[in-house]
Amino acid sequence: MYGSLIDALPEVLGLSNFLAVIVGVLAGIVVGALPGLSATMAISVLIPFTFAFEPLVALGLMAGIYNGAMYGGAIPAVLLRIPGTPAAVCTSFDGYPMAQKGEGGYALQIAVVSSAIGGIASALALMLLAPPLARVTLLFGPSEVFWVAVFGLSSIVFLLGGNPIKGLIAAAFGVFVSLVGSDTITGYDRFTFGRLEILDGINIVVLLVGLYALPPVIDLLEHPESPDASNTRKLATTSIWSRLPDMMGFWTTWLRGSIIGILVGILPGAGGSMAAFLSYNEARRASKNPENWGKGEPEGVAASETANNADTASALIPALTLGIPGTAVAAVMLGGLLIHGLQPGPMLFRDNPGIVFGFMWQFLFGAILLIFLGGSLATNSFAKVLLLPRPLLAAFIIVLMLIGTYAIHGRMFDVYLMLGFGVIGYGMDKLDYPLPPVVLGVILGGFAEENLRLALRIGRGDWSVLWANTTSQILIAVTIAIVVGPLVTRFLRKRKSARHA
Amino acid sequence: MRRFLATLGAAAVLAGIAAPVAAQDYPTRPIEVVVGYSAGGGSDVMARTVASYLEPALGGASVVVRNLPGAGGQIGFTEVATAEADGYTLGVMNLPAAVALTYDRDADYTVDSFTWLGNFVYDPNTLVVPASSGIESLEDLVAKAKENPGAITAGLTSLGGNDHFAAIQFANAAGIELTQVPFKGASMARAAMLGGHVAMGTMAYSQTVGFEDELKVLAVLSDERLPYAPDVPTARELGFDITMGSYRGIVGPANLPDDVRQKLIDALGAVAKDPKFTAAMEEQGSPVEFSEGEAYEALAKEQNEAAAEIWKTTPWK
Repeated sequence: MYGSLIDALPEVLGLSNFLAVIVGVLAGIVVGALPGLSATMAISVLIPFTFAFEPLVALGLMAGIYNGAMYGGAIPAVLLRIPGTPAAVCTSFDGYPMAQKGEGGYALQIAVVSSAIGGIASALALMLLAPPLARVTLLFGPSEVFWVAVFGLSSIVFLLGGNPIKGLIAAAFGVFVSLVGSDTITGYDRFTFGRLEILDGINIVVLLVGLYALPPVIDLLEHPESPDASNTRKLATTSIWSRLPDMMGFWTTWLRGSIIGILVGILPGAGGSMAAFLSYNEARRASKNPENWGKGEPEGVAASETANNADTASALIPALTLGIPGTAVAAVMLGGLLIHGLQPGPMLFRDNPGIVFGFMWQFLFGAILLIFLGGSLATNSFAKVLLLPRPLLAAFIIVLMLIGTYAIHGRMFDVYLMLGFGVIGYGMDKLDYPLPPVVLGVILGGFAEENLRLALRIGRGDWSVLWANTTSQILIAVTIAIVVGPLVTRFLRKRKSARHA
Repeated sequence: MRRFLATLGAAAVLAGIAAPVAAQDYPTRPIEVVVGYSAGGGSDVMARTVASYLEPALGGASVVVRNLPGAGGQIGFTEVATAEADGYTLGVMNLPAAVALTYDRDADYTVDSFTWLGNFVYDPNTLVVPASSGIESLEDLVAKAKENPGAITAGLTSLGGNDHFAAIQFANAAGIELTQVPFKGASMARAAMLGGHVAMGTMAYSQTVGFEDELKVLAVLSDERLPYAPDVPTARELGFDITMGSYRGIVGPANLPDDVRQKLIDALGAVAKDPKFTAAMEEQGSPVEFSEGEAYEALAKEQNEAAAEIWKTTPWK
């Protein structure tokens, strides 16, 4: 297998194939940075054109876009608190406060380096460990996936913000939104009011754009001259290479984020946003000063951005070897492969090694190119948008939001839905309800429910199916240890100090 | 308002004059093929492949694919059914999924809402188990199911689709009880089977291609053995009289003008005979089995009746 990997390299380094990756990364960064446009959409748009391309040109573009967009989403998340893609939500937690402190440039540099590291780790996992990791994927049936979702939901504790009641209400709202649509098990419609458009559920991009982008935009218009404007607009102009030594302290976060991202990538049905959430929470749990998180902790940006890029290439492990798309993007990519007669499955590696392994190299190069293309592009051009007059910037973003939401399915219904969520988001913002629990609820609520019910169906109603096998038991043990562990240590510490006193 | 009505009237008159002309020189403007699924799915890839060969077959017309995903394809099917019958809106049709929808939900169309032009792909369902399960034949499977009713879990692609119908038919024909587990999509159902989380599947044959070492196809639910899989017996040979499969073709709205209809049928027929097209389809794992016009319509009506029958005896919702 590793021999074919080397054999595929010369082809990838050919001019047109390599150029495709470069163009893809640049396009991906732009798409990711524009609120409302996502990698899934960009690749869907690309699919029809790929008919005419050589396979490696088409795949190179896709690999580049995927990597670029996962980083690009961080740019508006940091500068405007508007995540460009769902996976960049966690980046805004600390990235935006950093920008307010005048460290926006540094935050973007951390984002690009972390993204590249996550992407490289993920590509290496795809190249070197695809077959064993694919076997891990198969261990995860509905009951195992349910426990992963529970593990993710347990982290909601850290996202509740100052007022736990408001946080829990927000989380419940998120879970509620995730339940809208046709119930997969019984086929009954839930909260669809007869609308076909939401029978398949509410698209997370529609929700996020409304919830996360509209309130800041209204804010831009409410305060045409922001008091802190002078601060936000100042971006660090130090070169990325001179800041690298400062970042070396993040290596544990990078490592953890990469592993989490890769593992989430190989899980069927989980995506980059879940990877970023888990990585952010684990990094915060391990941090020595958790109270700084959410107030501009550089490590938070690193944690989120590493994980959402570490999920890219690894999502293709189950996609290529088993035909299971790990993420929505991977699902679209499978279509791109199919167009070129590349049927995913165990035979793919044997029948078309040149293309498959070439595709893997392209992921690696895409990730490396991020540092060179992403760093300068973000700080030199995108960050300049902050110099625009605020009303103009707001108008520009609103147009993007409308176009992006319309383009997902080509219908106005989604646009109205997005605006509705925007109004809710604005209300929540004014009433100090935190937004992150909503997102976590949307990502994991329905996911947990669906897998729980599938598991119970498989067990014919017997709940013991949930802890019947080793993988589930390990996951339960880890969840309990992580949730209960801190409580126990706090209790012990209290008792100890009480005894001393 | 009056001005608007006048404009509308003028437009209607113009359209009335234009219509017969359009029928003679059809097509004079781009033809849209509506796909009720996202870009990159099986139906979408077929639509795009057909479109690229249909363009020269219609004398250089331009054929554009438009994705209208949602509600299991229903949004796209409805769009085609309610479009103007001028031959400029066509659509990809999936049987029996499209007609099954008309029973378990409110749908704005029936089997009579379409002009059936040509079916390209026939993909029969199978009865399949993981290779590691130790089940070697349909007999083994049925015996196991009888031993412990309900213990055999069947992973389905979705509710109310051909996978689901195949499972219902098999359970009825064999007199066994299956526990149906509806996943979101064929790949998830297949993964659950590969990982041993469900005991069997009824997925379409094309979904098993490439997994020959991991899956054991016990029977295929077609009338005859498949030319590309001659070793797999049909369920009928094994004593279970069931056939089920999915069909993908091209339709238009009902009542297309006769000359437009004929022109489209001829062009699609020419596409289906193009060896380059059939080779491309084969590469994508969808060998072409073409049936045109009346034969396709008869097929649709037959599928419709089968779905109605299943809905009546074993409603899935």
